[in-house]
Amino acid sequence: MISIRTKKGYKLNIAGEPSHELEQLGKPTSVALLPERIPFVKPRLKVKVADQVKVGSPVFEDKRNPDLVFLSPGGGRITKIDFGPRRVIKEIVVELDQDEGYETFPIFNEAQVENIERQMLVKAIMTGGLWPLFRELPFRDIAAPDSIPPSIIVSLDANEPFQPMPEVYLKGKIELFEFGIKILQKLSEKLFISTSQNRSFILDQLNSYVTHICERVYPADDPGVLLYHIKKSFDENRAWYISGQDVLLLAMLFKTGKYPVERTVVIGGTLVRGKKHLLTRIGAPLSHLTKGRTDKTEKARYIVGGIFKGYKGGKDSYMGFYEKSLVLIPEGGEKEFLGFARPGFNKPSRSRAFLSFLNTSAFPMHCNCHGEERACINCGFCAQVCPVDILPQFTYKCILVDEIEEAIDHGLLDCVECGLCTYVCPSKLELCNVMKNTKKACYLEQL
Amino acid sequence: MKFLKKIFDSKRKHFAQGGRFEKLHPIFEATETFFFIPGIVTKNDAHVRDSLDLKRLMSMVIIALIPPLFFGIYNTGFQSNIASGLPVTFIAVSLKGLRIVLPVIIVSYVVGFLWEILFASIRKHSISEGFLVTGLLFPLTLPPTIPLWQVALGISFGVVIGKELFGGTGRNFLNPALTGRAFLFFAYPIKMTGETVWTVVSNVNSSGVDTFSGATPLAVSAVQGTASFIESLLAKAGFTFPKLFFGLYPGSIGGTSTLMCLIGACLLIFTGIASYRIMIGGVLGVLVAAYPGYIMSLVSGNSTVPMLALYPLYHLVMGGFAFGITYMATDPVSAPGMNAAKWIYGFAIGFLTVLIRIFNPAFPEGVMLAILFMNLFSPLLDYFEIHFRLKKRVPNV
Repeated sequence: MISIRTKKGYKLNIAGEPSHELEQLGKPTSVALLPERIPFVKPRLKVKVADQVKVGSPVFEDKRNPDLVFLSPGGGRITKIDFGPRRVIKEIVVELDQDEGYETFPIFNEAQVENIERQMLVKAIMTGGLWPLFRELPFRDIAAPDSIPPSIIVSLDANEPFQPMPEVYLKGKIELFEFGIKILQKLSEKLFISTSQNRSFILDQLNSYVTHICERVYPADDPGVLLYHIKKSFDENRAWYISGQDVLLLAMLFKTGKYPVERTVVIGGTLVRGKKHLLTRIGAPLSHLTKGRTDKTEKARYIVGGIFKGYKGGKDSYMGFYEKSLVLIPEGGEKEFLGFARPGFNKPSRSRAFLSFLNTSAFPMHCNCHGEERACINCGFCAQVCPVDILPQFTYKCILVDEIEEAIDHGLLDCVECGLCTYVCPSKLELCNVMKNTKKACYLEQL
Repeated sequence: MKFLKKIFDSKRKHFAQGGRFEKLHPIFEATETFFFIPGIVTKNDAHVRDSLDLKRLMSMVIIALIPPLFFGIYNTGFQSNIASGLPVTFIAVSLKGLRIVLPVIIVSYVVGFLWEILFASIRKHSISEGFLVTGLLFPLTLPPTIPLWQVALGISFGVVIGKELFGGTGRNFLNPALTGRAFLFFAYPIKMTGETVWTVVSNVNSSGVDTFSGATPLAVSAVQGTASFIESLLAKAGFTFPKLFFGLYPGSIGGTSTLMCLIGACLLIFTGIASYRIMIGGVLGVLVAAYPGYIMSLVSGNSTVPMLALYPLYHLVMGGFAFGITYMATDPVSAPGMNAAKWIYGFAIGFLTVLIRIFNPAFPEGVMLAILFMNLFSPLLDYFEIHFRLKKRVPNV
């Protein structure tokens, strides 16, 4: 086991931490697929409204590679296909039947996985609809099925606030996980599994598999950060990664021959009562997760996927394919009288410019920017937190003047899109977003 | 508070697009955001943001400037009353100091803000908080006898040429306050240098004036042709080391007290707003530059350049070095952004300050020129460090 020391990063001390308790939720009335939230995909629909689907029926495919199919996470009737601006498909809603039908897929036992050809295995995962779980660094597109990755990274840590803890989703499923690891080993010779020092459960149970110990600071658990710290040459850049929980899905598909839809989701944030881990299914409606847990007094923001990396979801929207966290925090938006002159005992800040540095308790936070956008004053706070040693203040300026080559030299593609630079910026610049969009533009140009 | 909110809400329409005072929108916005942090919410990730904004950051610098400011007011009044033979009670001295310093600060802020508003309304952006600091830094570097029209001229030069011409806060490569001071220094040397500018003498009681000598410690040390050790010379003029450290002697309004600057520096370093690398680098630079000359003059016993014989620690407490390295050199916009570059930058400022002091008696105050000179080099320092750093990166294309 190799210890990775991340000098940078930040541990956000935010109130609303969920407990480790796991609650099994009942069956929702509908589930959905959100093609809009799957990166770079160009969906071609294979169903129409009012079609009947089973769990595991293909719903849409990727125009770039028609073998890449996305399967229905529920059995029932397609009731709505929601298009957004420029015909982007936002939601495909499936109303669930009482008795859901299941498509069947071939079952593999461990020996079969051991002996199967890599190509066949890839094909089995693709028809099983789980190939999109593999993502390719640095652009985080779905991995190219015909390529062999330099390594596959599995992160068994959750340092972003309010993500499912590996102790919870792996409880009682260690064997299943080990089976998943066997599948991954078949896909790539190098398999990196990381966790942090104080996850004794993982270290006990999966000791022989864990290759790297990361620090307990956000975003040290990100596969991009791990890769940044371990790579020796540029041909290691295109590593694949898959999240720990998704390894279980992979194993379940092969064990049961059914498209797995089980998901452990965390619900957290100050506006939620009974913050805990929920066992539900992929594509569950947000209202299903929050039922009976919210008060309607304060305007809440529904953040799907995490405080730093997630997106704003509507109250009546659904969990995405990748997202495992739902956070409800106040929208904010109130003006604060003489805010800059207050001592700030309860104003969370990384700097020591507020008296909050004396206060070690977790702070309730809302979505206020706490200030207006200004020009960059080169304070360098962003470079102090960037986990992959980019200099966001300089890289950002390179991008603004269209010096993309220089920005790439600065390590733009190493950016793990953690959002910490945006978080700390006192000029309230959207640093991370600018870098993310530039990365995306670079990728689309390469295609 | 509710009352204020109502006023702003009812007047907003006049300043909005198409309103009567559309052109003055930056003033309205600046005033409103002074009273209320705007309720802007995040549009995308990251969904939460740090509480620190530029207003808070700049207010911390203002708070760090309070010790030199208050002490400067007291000291100005004190020197003036001593020279004029007036009573030196705390109240009398403070009032006198206020009467001298306050107009300078007010002129600096008012004139500077007029320029800021003009540029902001033409460029249609909001007024940046950076000026809050510039507008206070500038008067503190001036001699108390400065005519107010020169204050206005200096701050205008600093804000317009030093900052706004290049695009405003964040895009200037020179420290605006020092640019303004340098302009006055070269354009009106009579009012900025010499022996008489450092104390306001009011002719109430002329008996005090006779005994008054206004030479600054820097001027005393630069006196030519003496073999005796310079400290005794300084001590004879009344400038002992503790006195220089505490700062109760004639000089620029805010720059005399090293102790006060030290308090400010501690606050700035603790809050993480100013770079300790620049400050420590600066102190090291001074010592490294001053020690060889000192040792040389100790060995030879005689020196043609008298300031070489000055005990190096004196350089830290004399003139405006402490003020400059604490508040001016650490301006993040005109300083380098990289860590090693910051060390070099600070070091070079200290080093150059001493060189200018020793070898160029025409410019007794070296720190201003040293900082402005290094401002020009900070992009280059950054460039080299980034270049060096990127070589170590595993490329990702």
